[in-house]
Amino acid sequence: MSFPQNTGHAAPFPRLSILLHWVMAALIIVMLFVGLIMAHDPTIHYAQLFTLHRTVGFLILLLVVIRLINRFASHTPDLPHDLPVIMKLAAHLSHILLYGFMLALPLVGWAMLSAGGYPITLWGGCHIPPLIGFHPHLWGALRCLHSLLAYGLILLILAHIGAALLHGIIRRDGVLGSMLGR
Amino acid sequence: MAHSPRKGSPARWAAVILPPLCLGGLLAWTAGAFSPSAISPAHFMQRFHNAGAPGDGFRRAHAKGMCATGWFDPSPEGQALSRSGIFKGKHLPVMGRFSLAPPLPYLPDNPAVARSLSLQIRSSTGDDWRLALVDVPLQSMRDVADAYAFFGAAKLNPTTQKPDPAAVQAYAAQRPWLKTAFEQAKAHQQTSDLTNDTYNSLDSFILTDSTGKKTAVRWAVVAQEPFSPAEGSGANDKNYLFKRLVQTLNQRPLRWDIVATIAREEDPVNDPSQPWDEADQKVTVGTVTFTKASSEDESPCGSMVFDPTILPDGIGVSGDPLLALRSTVYMRSYATRSAEHKAPSMVTPGDVTNPTLTTDGKGQ
Repeated sequence: MSFPQNTGHAAPFPRLSILLHWVMAALIIVMLFVGLIMAHDPTIHYAQLFTLHRTVGFLILLLVVIRLINRFASHTPDLPHDLPVIMKLAAHLSHILLYGFMLALPLVGWAMLSAGGYPITLWGGCHIPPLIGFHPHLWGALRCLHSLLAYGLILLILAHIGAALLHGIIRRDGVLGSMLGR
Repeated sequence: MAHSPRKGSPARWAAVILPPLCLGGLLAWTAGAFSPSAISPAHFMQRFHNAGAPGDGFRRAHAKGMCATGWFDPSPEGQALSRSGIFKGKHLPVMGRFSLAPPLPYLPDNPAVARSLSLQIRSSTGDDWRLALVDVPLQSMRDVADAYAFFGAAKLNPTTQKPDPAAVQAYAAQRPWLKTAFEQAKAHQQTSDLTNDTYNSLDSFILTDSTGKKTAVRWAVVAQEPFSPAEGSGANDKNYLFKRLVQTLNQRPLRWDIVATIAREEDPVNDPSQPWDEADQKVTVGTVTFTKASSEDESPCGSMVFDPTILPDGIGVSGDPLLALRSTVYMRSYATRSAEHKAPSMVTPGDVTNPTLTTDGKGQ
């Protein structure tokens, strides 16, 4: 099934923005699954998954910083003019939240491992210095926050996918196409 | 207007709603939302609670403990077995925690109870090696299902405040594969003290040397103090084991050798309930020296997690299913207890400052 896009209303995102979006989308989805498995499945090879989770987490932190700089440095296509105000507001708010969660999750992860006294070793044996000192009480709270942020990000992503498809399939206003490079 | 009408057929709405719904469902399934009966870390936490773990900021197992600090001196033999920075170092800082194995933080010391030792050894280059050791010869469980049943059988009877003997017996009787483990536990000669005890990793680990060669090992942390039997060694003081450890440390440093038993082809690496060949080569990879004791309420060891899967490069986990289980359960227990308000430990700072044995039932 293909849905013809009416691309007259939204210019595509710059190539770099599109690349960053889809690379990060893939990494974040993988991270959410890995995190949920780590927290809930007592039978998996935890140590390797943990190393993967830390490594990809730092990669995402790096990418989200690049992405934020790119967001301000490059042109973001306008939303369709006939989009109802409430939907425009929801679009802007959800994007601010998405950026916030993408930034907060790896930072809280880094802080919580530091507070818990965990060594922060990436794939290939690279040691990352702790963000804060050993504070077990804080570790407990940050570990909880890390989960809450992850569940929040999951809901945001599901809403984001739903909204993108609404633009592409129901409204056919070119918003989905702008992130597909069309 | 150039736009087509802003409405869609049911098929189009389905194409909007189904993809996020499927992804959400898949994530929920990964989190165990559709299999509530599957064994999860939360279930283990419940079983620890039923077995007497009170919460109150205490760890869910090995709850009663005391800290010790000192250093680790690796041997050249250790460096030959593993490329880890730990074995290239000298005089590395060690944080240890001596404990009683049950989940009861206020258990009076007695000769019958199993004891444990945890270690954290760190190199200046960021390597971090944690060990969780216990003084029984073999693990009395072989996989996650066994572990879950084991802690189920440890549930305290509300009237006797002890596990139901029938449940414990049934656990053993239903598992013929644990016969050797229980026989060896029964034959095990308990030592008089924490100071002359030998503590075992039970789980196996894979060492990698500088050429990439891998060796499967089990760890034993062997006391240099001479053996003395537990029989008749008890004392009325509820903390006599810990106080006597402090007394000895006040007189002289205490040393333990970290000994690797090298697996041979036929040794069951991934099953901690099975013995290895008696004739296996044993290699001392280094020596831990403890010089100072402190109450866990005054030392970072009290809150620290000694997850034995926190390993430096050059030491890795084996395929032992209990190691995977430990990680998830330790993580859950560590996060939960760290967020709780911690009640005072039974071995108090005062016991460490003045380790004289009393007979007035102190600590009850």
